[in-house]
Amino acid sequence: MLSPYGLDIIESCLTCKMRAERLFCDLPTAALQSFESIKYATAYPKGAVLFVEGQAPRGIFVLCKGRIKLSICASDGKTLILKIAEPGEVLGLSAAVSGKAYELTAETIDPCQVNFVKREDFLRFLKEHSDACFKVAEQLSEKYNVACHEVRSLGLSHSAAEKLAKLLIEWSSKNGESLKQEPRLKLSLTHEEIAQMIGTSRETVTRLFADLKKRQILQAKGSTLVIRNKAALRTLATTG
Amino acid sequence: MSQSCLDCARRSDRVFCDLEPDALQEFDGIKSFQTYPRGSVLFREGETAHSVFLVCQGRVRLTVCSESGRRMTLRIVPAGEVLGLSAALSGGRYEVTAEVMEAVETAEIPRKELLQFLREHREVCMQVVNQLSEDLHVAYDRVRAVGLTRMRHTPMHGAAH
Repeated sequence: MLSPYGLDIIESCLTCKMRAERLFCDLPTAALQSFESIKYATAYPKGAVLFVEGQAPRGIFVLCKGRIKLSICASDGKTLILKIAEPGEVLGLSAAVSGKAYELTAETIDPCQVNFVKREDFLRFLKEHSDACFKVAEQLSEKYNVACHEVRSLGLSHSAAEKLAKLLIEWSSKNGESLKQEPRLKLSLTHEEIAQMIGTSRETVTRLFADLKKRQILQAKGSTLVIRNKAALRTLATTG
Repeated sequence: MSQSCLDCARRSDRVFCDLEPDALQEFDGIKSFQTYPRGSVLFREGETAHSVFLVCQGRVRLTVCSESGRRMTLRIVPAGEVLGLSAALSGGRYEVTAEVMEAVETAEIPRKELLQFLREHREVCMQVVNQLSEDLHVAYDRVRAVGLTRMRHTPMHGAAH
């Protein structure tokens, strides 16, 4: 079914072609059938908020298509982006399991398809299907890993330059680009959003990019960035 | 404290340890009881996760470290919690260093045995998921504290070098 947001909605998990590639979704048939009966397939436009930090947990959201920005917020409105979630990731997991409030805010950055499952249904599903329980444990482990990485980066990096260099290296390590002499990466976030990922201001990010380009470490080709000098970027990532 | 989980008096107070009799019996068979003095390191950040450690008694400090060696405490773990779970389950490396603050008694379970045990006792898998969720809440609180406090202190201009 083609939705108003241009998404090709996958109605049933049982016939989903992408299932095998997705960490959570690759479940045994019995578990998958049971999941199918408790999930609601929903579509959201860009900029929709799935849940807000501090809200009581209603359930979990399996991201089928699109990308979602996960952020935390200070009382003065400053935002820190923790992660950009990709398809296959389950959002709101720890809150749904523990019954505590959502710790993050989830906002779509593309039109997204999301499968929602109510908290009570999800907990019962986990008790009945140990394979799914295992996958949830794996996802939570992965999220813990990301959170520790974030604490390390935010708490122990010396400078915004160091954090930006680390972020660019991390992004360029996807899709085997890092093996190339001059890795390329598609910049899909604004300077404001990048600033929110590394805990600095938009102005600093813009200035750092200008500096990296001036020093010929980076080159911009439209929205694609080419890393011209990998070694210099790595040095920056370790020494700031 | 008893070296056997079967006659441990504190078991019922501890979320992870309060297992059904058959699971407890099996858990007791795969764990090895160890004591460590203050200052010992149970595992280091970056090492391949070989085991998980259930803290029976004492306290453990979890820290993260930068490439340049600067160290920051993530949290202090009291008795009753399991350390190294996320790394062991994902088959990766420990994300943190666990250092003994007060002499500890631990039940150490090798990763392979833990995975097998969880496959056979699905109710324990739920306990693992609960513990991981709690760990994650603490980690996010830490991100919030570290990330947003530092942001407030970052000047709007010229903070890069």
